[in-house]
Amino acid sequence: MPRRKLDPLPSVAFQILLALADQPLHGYAIMRHVAEQTEGRMRLGPATLYGSIQTLLEGGLVEEVDAPAHDDSQDGRRRYYRISAAGRKMARDEAERLAGVLRVARTKDILRGEYV
Amino acid sequence: MSEPLLSGLLALYPAQFRREYGAECARLLRDRFRDERGVMARMRLCADVLHDLLFGVPQLYALPRRAFAKAAPAQADGTMIRVADEARLSLGALMCAVALSTGAFGCMMSWFANVRYACEAGFLRQAQTQPPVKKSHQSSMRLASFYMMQQPASAPAASMAPSVRDATSAMVDAINTHKIVMFGETHANKQEYAWLCSLVRDPAFHARVDDIVVEFGNSLYQKSVDRWIAGEDVPMAQVEKAWRNIVGAVGPVSPVYAEFYQAVRESNRMSGSHKVRLLLGDPYADWEKIKDKEDLGPFVAHRDEWYAQVVEDDVLAKGHRALLIMGAGHFRRANGPELIEQKLRALGADPYLVVFGTNVVGAYDDVDPRFDSWKTPAIVALAGNWVGDLPAIPVLTGGMGQASSLKMAAAADAMLYVGPRDSLTTVNVPASELENSDYGKEINRRLMIQMGRTMTFTLPAETPEFQRPAPQQAAAGNVQRFPQAQAPKSMHDPLPPRPPSQ
Repeated sequence: MPRRKLDPLPSVAFQILLALADQPLHGYAIMRHVAEQTEGRMRLGPATLYGSIQTLLEGGLVEEVDAPAHDDSQDGRRRYYRISAAGRKMARDEAERLAGVLRVARTKDILRGEYV
Repeated sequence: MSEPLLSGLLALYPAQFRREYGAECARLLRDRFRDERGVMARMRLCADVLHDLLFGVPQLYALPRRAFAKAAPAQADGTMIRVADEARLSLGALMCAVALSTGAFGCMMSWFANVRYACEAGFLRQAQTQPPVKKSHQSSMRLASFYMMQQPASAPAASMAPSVRDATSAMVDAINTHKIVMFGETHANKQEYAWLCSLVRDPAFHARVDDIVVEFGNSLYQKSVDRWIAGEDVPMAQVEKAWRNIVGAVGPVSPVYAEFYQAVRESNRMSGSHKVRLLLGDPYADWEKIKDKEDLGPFVAHRDEWYAQVVEDDVLAKGHRALLIMGAGHFRRANGPELIEQKLRALGADPYLVVFGTNVVGAYDDVDPRFDSWKTPAIVALAGNWVGDLPAIPVLTGGMGQASSLKMAAAADAMLYVGPRDSLTTVNVPASELENSDYGKEINRRLMIQMGRTMTFTLPAETPEFQRPAPQQAAAGNVQRFPQAQAPKSMHDPLPPRPPSQ
C-alpha cells in the first residue's frame, strides 16, 4: 500500500518530508512548518496529517524517534518524527522532478526569469 | 470553549486511527486552540477541522484496516479521546455525524461572531442603552445562552489551571512552531535577563533561532556588532556604542544589556556552524552629531517603524526564525496588535507574543498566592485559564499602572514569570561609575537635549524593580517635578537616509 500511495509522492507527504528535513518534529510543529512553507495555503488537519505520517512510516520515509530532552510537555511526551535516508532521497527526487517541470515551464515562457 | 467540542469530533475518526493517534490529534487541537486566538483564527480552525472531517476522514476509512494495526498503548495522559467502538462506522452514520458536526460548527461560528467578540469589545454593555438587537443577533444570544448553560458550573474555562512550563523549554517549543517569537521585556530587570542569557546559551534554542532583534541596539553600529558577535576582536569602546547610544533611553543603560550581548557572543563561540545574528532595532541616530532635540525628533518618532523595517528586511525577507525583544509597551496588545505586530502580520508573519508578568493582580498589595507554587522561571500560555483572565495592567506593571478592562489573554499569548514581584530587581549603572566620568557627562548632555534637564547620579547597583508608590508624598508636593519638555517639530519628519553602518 505505501508504495502505491507514495508513487507519485502526494504534495502533503512531500511537504511533511520538507518540514522534517532540518530536525525531528512533533505533529503540531510539522503542521506549523507546512503552513509556513506553503504560506498558509496548506493547513493539515489531524486526519490528513497523521494519515500521511502513517503512510510515510509504513513506506519507511520517516521514523518515529524519542522526544528530545527539552520536551517537558506536562500533558505527556509528544511523538516525534524524523526523515529517513529513503525519505530524504524521495524528497530530493520529487524536488528535482518539480525543478524539471519548472524548467519546462520557463522554456514555454509560462514562468518568467524571476522564479528559481 | 470549543476545544472539548473540537476534540469530541475526533470520535468520528476510525477507531484504530484513534487508538494510534487519538492522543496526538487531541494535543494538536489543544495546541492550535491555544495559539490561534481571535474570531478569525478560531473560525479558520473550525473550518480546518470541518475540512478534515469531510475530506481527510473518508480517506482514513478507505485505508485497509491493517494500516493502523500497530496498536498504541492505552492512553494515559488524560486525553479526551475515547475509543468507543471497534467496528467501522456505516456510511449513513458517518453522513449523519458530519451533518451534526456541521450544525455544531455553525452554532459555534455564530457564537464567536456575534457574542464573544461583542463581549470582548464591550459592546454588550453599550447595547443595554441601545435599541433592541436584531432578530438574528437575538438568536445568536439564545445559542450563546444555551451553550453557556451546557458548561459545567464548577469549571468555567477561565478558572482552569494553566500549564506552567519551564521557560526555556516553552521558548524552544515556541520558536519551533512560530518563526517569529516576540518577547515584551521589562527594562533592566535582573532576573529576566539572567533567564534570557541562559536561553540564548541553550543549545536547542541556539540551533533553531537565526536572529535576535533587540530594541537596545543602535542600527548604526550593526557592522561592529556583527563582527564582534562572530568572535572577532573589536574594541569594546566601539561595540558598547550599540547599546549605550540608543535613542529609546537617554539615561544610563543597564549593564544587563551588555551581558546579553556577551551571552550571544559566547553561545556563537560554543556552537557549531550555526551562528545567531544580533540585529539592532533602534534607529541609526548618531549621538555625536545630535546637537538639539530637532536633530533627535525623527528618530524618536519612528522607533517602532524602524524596528519593524529591520525585521522585514533582515528576518522575514530571508525566511529566518527570530526572537524579537523590546519593551513590553511596544508589543503588548490592547485593542488588537500594536504597530510592530500589525506590520509583521501584514507581511504574512504569525508571531507568538510572550510578555513579562508579575504576581500582582490588583493594587500594589494585591498579590495572588496562586503563583507561589510555580517553579521559576516559567512561561504559561494565557488562553483559557485563570492567568489569562487576570487584569493585564497590574500583572504586567507590578501593580503600578492605571487599571483597565484589558485581560492578560487579550494582551499576549503567554507570560514569563521569573519570581514574586517583591523579589525582582533592576540593575543600574552604579553612581560611582557615572560621577565625573565621560559617560556620565554624555548622559547629562543627552538629557539636556531631550528633557531640558540633567540628573544627579545616586542609584546603587541594584534597586527594587517596582518600588511602592508614595501617594502622600506626591500629594504634599514633596516629589521633584520637571516641566514637560516640548516635543520637537521634527517629530513629523521622516527618518533621514541611513548612513553606512559603523
